[in-house]
Amino acid sequence: MFDWSQEIVLGASILSWFIIGAGLAQTAVYLLQLIIAAYALSKRPPVARSALLWRRYGDVAPPIALLVPAYNEEVNVVESVHSMLALEYPNFEVIVINDGSKDQTLQRLIEGFKLVKFHRPYEEALTHKPIRGLYSSPMTERLFVVDKENGGKADAQNAGVNVCRAPLFCVIDGDSILEPDALMRAAQPFIDDPERTIAVGGTIRIANGSRIEGGRVREVRLPNRLLPLFQVVEYLRAFLMARLAWSRINTLMLVSGAFGMFRRAEVVAVGGFTGGSMGEDLDLVIKLHRHMMDTKRKYRIQFIPEPVCWTEAPESLRVLARQRTRWQRGALECFFRYRSMLFNPRYGRVGFLGFGHILVVDVLGPISEVLGYVLIPTFWLLGILSTEYLLAFTSLVFTYGVCVSVCSLVLEEAELQRFPRARDLAVLTAVAVIENFGYRQLNNLWRVKGWWQYLRADQSWGEMTRTGLTGPKK
Amino acid sequence: MLYIWHLSILLSALSLAIMLLLIVRRVLQERRGTTGADQRRLLLTALIAFTENRDREALKTALLAVPARVAVDAGFEFISLLRGEEHDELLSAFNECGLPALVSTQLEKGNAAERIHATEMLAALRSENAVASLLSALDRDGSREVRIAVAIALCDLGALPPLVITLRKIGVAGQRSRRLIELFRRFPPKRLDELEDYARLQGAVPFIRAAAIDALARNGGFRFGDFFARAAGDPSSEVAAAALRALGLTGHANATAILTKAMEIGGWNVRADAANAAGRLGLSELAAPLAQLMDDEAWTVRYAAANALRSFGQKGEQVLREIATSEVSRRQRTASLILAEGPAA
Repeated sequence: MFDWSQEIVLGASILSWFIIGAGLAQTAVYLLQLIIAAYALSKRPPVARSALLWRRYGDVAPPIALLVPAYNEEVNVVESVHSMLALEYPNFEVIVINDGSKDQTLQRLIEGFKLVKFHRPYEEALTHKPIRGLYSSPMTERLFVVDKENGGKADAQNAGVNVCRAPLFCVIDGDSILEPDALMRAAQPFIDDPERTIAVGGTIRIANGSRIEGGRVREVRLPNRLLPLFQVVEYLRAFLMARLAWSRINTLMLVSGAFGMFRRAEVVAVGGFTGGSMGEDLDLVIKLHRHMMDTKRKYRIQFIPEPVCWTEAPESLRVLARQRTRWQRGALECFFRYRSMLFNPRYGRVGFLGFGHILVVDVLGPISEVLGYVLIPTFWLLGILSTEYLLAFTSLVFTYGVCVSVCSLVLEEAELQRFPRARDLAVLTAVAVIENFGYRQLNNLWRVKGWWQYLRADQSWGEMTRTGLTGPKK
Repeated sequence: MLYIWHLSILLSALSLAIMLLLIVRRVLQERRGTTGADQRRLLLTALIAFTENRDREALKTALLAVPARVAVDAGFEFISLLRGEEHDELLSAFNECGLPALVSTQLEKGNAAERIHATEMLAALRSENAVASLLSALDRDGSREVRIAVAIALCDLGALPPLVITLRKIGVAGQRSRRLIELFRRFPPKRLDELEDYARLQGAVPFIRAAAIDALARNGGFRFGDFFARAAGDPSSEVAAAALRALGLTGHANATAILTKAMEIGGWNVRADAANAAGRLGLSELAAPLAQLMDDEAWTVRYAAANALRSFGQKGEQVLREIATSEVSRRQRTASLILAEGPAA
């Protein structure tokens, strides 16, 4: 009779090694990011006062168009646009693109800014759904509204890129709040290195709980609920650690669609945002990398930690799950669409590090981790695996997680200090520990669900219910 | 396998310990921060009082009563608000209190952001040793952003070394910063010839040459008209475009011929700037080549040409109307769009 027990142990060991190996790779990437991010912050310390920036860069700051796609944003749109018009930058225009909203978004804008129909010649460089009309405001020369048929966020952004005349444009979500000096800070790389810089991303921070008046964050406070608190730590990790590190070695793969600045000519050259994409921001940045490398041009895609865009984080598990599955589908879609770049020597560090990171963290990461939650304790209980395996897996999932999250908080406190009170730091430290016990696992389950939806070619965007940052709560 | 576990425990414990220290530091900062804000408020009150009573001794007492860093920070912003005698007296008080020495130390030992700020403060405080400190920083600072800031400060103090040397010290990598445009705009009128010489250098970075031409057009005017006319035919499209923009500001006896040639043979940015210059100078005799440009493959050129025609007044608008009612073509569409631009009827 054949003895299967040895084969079972061997199989379990191989599977465990795959799971632990993937976890080790992921942890190694995070620790590497931490080191590079700390170095980057020490080399490029932030300028504290925006008055200094204005004095320094005000005369040479290039014109910028702020593109704001709006879909069913009637609650906040007027106040959001008011706050954008009040940004501190010498030369900018705000172009709101009403993407066929079903609610009163356009009407609110027409009433709020006394809009009148306006003819403005523009370059039809990118394709998008038909524009129904352009509007300008007699109240301010800075504001234009594009009313177009519904085509999704990427389509609306493409329409905005066509209509804008500035050499740089900045995309921002209609329900987000830019800090008054955010444009000036984000434009800095375009001033210091105007020939090579083609895109710059800023930090997105969670505004839940903060005191907001007149479209401005007046007092930074932490959210009262645990779910947005977890996301505060998550965003710090994503922006202060991952993006800063990859930016330092010019391998930044994502400039957030919620706040990113781009050189128009290059975006037009790559065909703009990919319509119908789940991750149009990731897609655009990958296209830019590919285009610049194919044409053998020197370029920089940078992340600057100081310019801040405040956004509202989901407060319910249902909405957060939808957001995370969509993000996962977006990452997978881009990874497989541009898979020829993976480990392709032609694309240098972008092919190896950038795509390697997506492979380890977004493609394999959630699957191996969820498999690990189920299999490793089971194997250990059945006596197939030794305790050492269990401890190794536990450390990769929990203790290294604590270290990485707390270290991103250390970076924040050492260089930026945006949380006003010591108590906030203590709370966030506790949250950085707790999130590894439950929230992280839940997140991975949603990402596996995103994988499943991607395999089933589920293209639904999912409704993103928001209560509104600036307007009255629903 | 156990080492993975042990290392993880060590790293997470270490990170938590560091975070704890940072929290303690923050608690101490919060306590000190209140004091700092109070000191700043007191000093600003003294500065405002000085503008009313001009009591320099009282001001010096107030300056010495707060930490030097607070005095310099608050004073820098206040100084930039003042002009004339008040400004000079305030500078004297700051210098008598030895505050520029602190700024010089910051220029040597601070991080990059602090060093850039120190150059601005040294230029504002105008101390005796400011030029020496700045010249030394131009020689040895490792950051090109700092070196550019130093050059701007030296320019403000009237002590900028010859341009060729300054740019060599800034380094080639730094010669693509838009901050250099600011440096050139601040260039002393007596030294504009240096800018012209640099803009002539074929081997220099085109971006810098173009920036120099832009600055010459703004500050030097017609005096450099002949140079702009020659530079309009430069092999670098960036330089040629800048020269055409300059001609659009200053004008030139041969402007018509120069612009006509640029519209025919230049790159897209040259053609667009030639059209813009024609519109700015009101050269209505260029209506025909501008009408040709409205068929250009680049939208920017078509738009510039149509705008130039429109700026000619009735004659240009007549040309646009004729094109707009002609057969459907690229130029016909451009003309229609330009004529329709503005609030809808």
